[in-house]
Amino acid sequence: MSSTTADRLKEFPSARWFIISAAMFFVITTFVGLLVATKFVWPEFMGTAKWLTFGRMRPMHVNGVIFGWLLAADMGVIFYLVPKLCGTGLWSEKLGLFTVVLFDTIILCAIFTTSLGITQGLEYAELPFVLDVGVTLAWVLFGLNVFMTIAKRKHKKIYVSLWYTMGAIIWTAIVYITGNFAVMFFTGVNQANLNWFYVHNAVGLIFTPLGIAIAYYFIPKAANAPLYSHKLSMIGFWSISFVYVWTGAHHMIHGPISQWLQTVSIIFSALLIIPVWTVVVNFFGTVSGRWDQVRRDPVLKYLMAGTTFYLLTCFQGPMQALRSVNAITSKTDWVVGHAHMALFGGFSFFVIAGTLYAVPLMVRRPLYSVKLGNHAFWFMLTGGLIYFFSLWTGGFIQGLQWNDASIPFVNTVISMQPYWVARLVAGTLIFTGAVVYLYNLSRTFWGPDTEEAPATETASVVQRG
Amino acid sequence: MKMLEKFDFNAGFFAACALLIFLVGATITTAYPAFTEDSWSKPNDGLHQYSESQLNGREVYKREGCWYCHTQQIRTLEPDTKRYGWRGVDAPISVPSEYVNDYPHFLGTRRIGPDLARVGGKYDKSWHRAHFMNPRDLVPGSIMPPFPWLIADDNGRDFDDLVNYLQTLGRSRDWRPAHDYEQ
Ligand code: HEC
Ligand code: HEM
Repeated sequence: MSSTTADRLKEFPSARWFIISAAMFFVITTFVGLLVATKFVWPEFMGTAKWLTFGRMRPMHVNGVIFGWLLAADMGVIFYLVPKLCGTGLWSEKLGLFTVVLFDTIILCAIFTTSLGITQGLEYAELPFVLDVGVTLAWVLFGLNVFMTIAKRKHKKIYVSLWYTMGAIIWTAIVYITGNFAVMFFTGVNQANLNWFYVHNAVGLIFTPLGIAIAYYFIPKAANAPLYSHKLSMIGFWSISFVYVWTGAHHMIHGPISQWLQTVSIIFSALLIIPVWTVVVNFFGTVSGRWDQVRRDPVLKYLMAGTTFYLLTCFQGPMQALRSVNAITSKTDWVVGHAHMALFGGFSFFVIAGTLYAVPLMVRRPLYSVKLGNHAFWFMLTGGLIYFFSLWTGGFIQGLQWNDASIPFVNTVISMQPYWVARLVAGTLIFTGAVVYLYNLSRTFWGPDTEEAPATETASVVQRG
Repeated sequence: MKMLEKFDFNAGFFAACALLIFLVGATITTAYPAFTEDSWSKPNDGLHQYSESQLNGREVYKREGCWYCHTQQIRTLEPDTKRYGWRGVDAPISVPSEYVNDYPHFLGTRRIGPDLARVGGKYDKSWHRAHFMNPRDLVPGSIMPPFPWLIADDNGRDFDDLVNYLQTLGRSRDWRPAHDYEQ
């Protein structure tokens, strides 16, 4: 059965464009990450051109990967799974396409503003005011499309993935507005408190629920097994919606901020164990007994590795929040290892799995190469593991050295060098994986027509009413 | 149980509950302290308004991303007070009243380089000039980037302003017994 490119590329246009543009930004902005990592080993590298200095490339990398790649890829996959779960089309594909164009334009502008040094000087909120307004608009349009699709759904029962999607849209609106607009009215510690409320909840209430929504949909699909427990999903959802938001101040433990706020953030960081365990038990429970499938299928590999990294991240989080551990790890490379495990190892893996499963269905033909899918996975997994472990080790050692005031600061920098070299190797592997992934996706989209049977979907194991 | 079932079918009700339960923690950790923690917005006695030059110095600090590598907070930890002290005198622990004129705040989360909360008066201007031209000339093994354009462009105005700003850091606490601050 063969179909021409033109009639294959009809369904889910907004989802497709979000996903393919995100995959391009993935390659570009991890490459920027690689350049930044090079500067740690070779500080003069591209250092005398002002638009390529560390302080401008770093926000380019960070904003690029979290917005241009991760958030855009999440939105693309959500534009696929929400209509699927609702048994109807997306409310408005036109609006969806407009959202893609708007969002990608913002990211392109951001590449210029960051390199020109135009910044608001707050982490994750560097983008100038106009672009913030654009992001807000894009988010509102995205939310409108999702909510309207849910409103006209044919399947009455709301599956867990839809809970998390709705939660993410609502929470993100408030979190983003606080981090990008409310901060403009405050100074000093007050502003810092709002800033870290945003930074932390950007991860916890934007990327976590979107990533989990995606995993909740694709794990049962890819494993062809029913979800392990509906009750656990409920506990997981309601506990995260209550608990997560209290933890922002754990970025300032021992800092110039009220003790009660620090203690609250530490207690709630520990409570995070509940939502995390329920979700992880649910995911592993669903796949258990089907490990032979994992060996063959890159989708399940990403999902299971992602689940493992998510669990580890959320085991580290509460530990780092303890005052005694925090006194060693805070402000070191350890935290960078932690951040990459969450956003790359956890949530990027989830969304990559989603795209590898959904894109073939959208374009009605098999993934270009399962083998390349697996290769990309191994590149990213190996790179990821080297990245995380080297920075945890190096960061922990540096933290201990800092606590001995007789060691000059620069000596603690010099002793990080081997770990930074390892990170460079890791980054090269991750980047290679990203290139292979992009190639695989774009061949699936646009490669020459084949005689192969189109991709098929597993039966509706995802619970519906 | 009836209520839990409702979540399975009623999207509007579900969304409203998800918002409310989130708002509890959101309000208590952001709006509440903003209105009740007086010390967060009350300047300490020694704190001056920034001059125009110092404000531009902060712009440079922001633009060049110094704050990705340098924190500005002496934490309630002995290693911090010792490491950033001066000739055996411990650096005073940072308090919220030091920061009320800071927009944006530069407390920072990452120490690729040392903390700068008490660096005001530690080095003189010629040291900073050499350091910004090439940090490795003064501190071998440093990974701080060179910033020659601060000195070369516009007759070094950005450099002058940046140093003017750096020299204010920690000064509101007037913490060195000998008041031996470099200009
Ligand atoms: C890539 C990270 C990085 C960036 C960006 C950076 N620095 Fe540094 N900085 C360091 C490191 C590492 C050291 C310690 C070694 C040294 O003194 O060069 C340092 C040292 C310093 C010192 C000396 C502190 C002391 O107590 O001895 C000052 C002052 C300083 N930096 C100011 C700045 C300013 C101002 C900027 C922005 C224009 C800046 N730095 C940007 C990494 C960085
Ligand atoms: C080639 C792969 C990558 C490399 C080499 C790399 C490198 C870096 C470097 C050098 C930093 C600055 C760390 C510091 O200030 O000490 C950084 C920060 C960051 N990167 Fe990456 N990165 C890569 C991929 C990614 C991906 C895929 C994501 C997310 C999807 C990501 C998310 C982040 C975040 C969130 C930060 C900020 C961390 C923090 O503030 O603690 N990176 N990265």
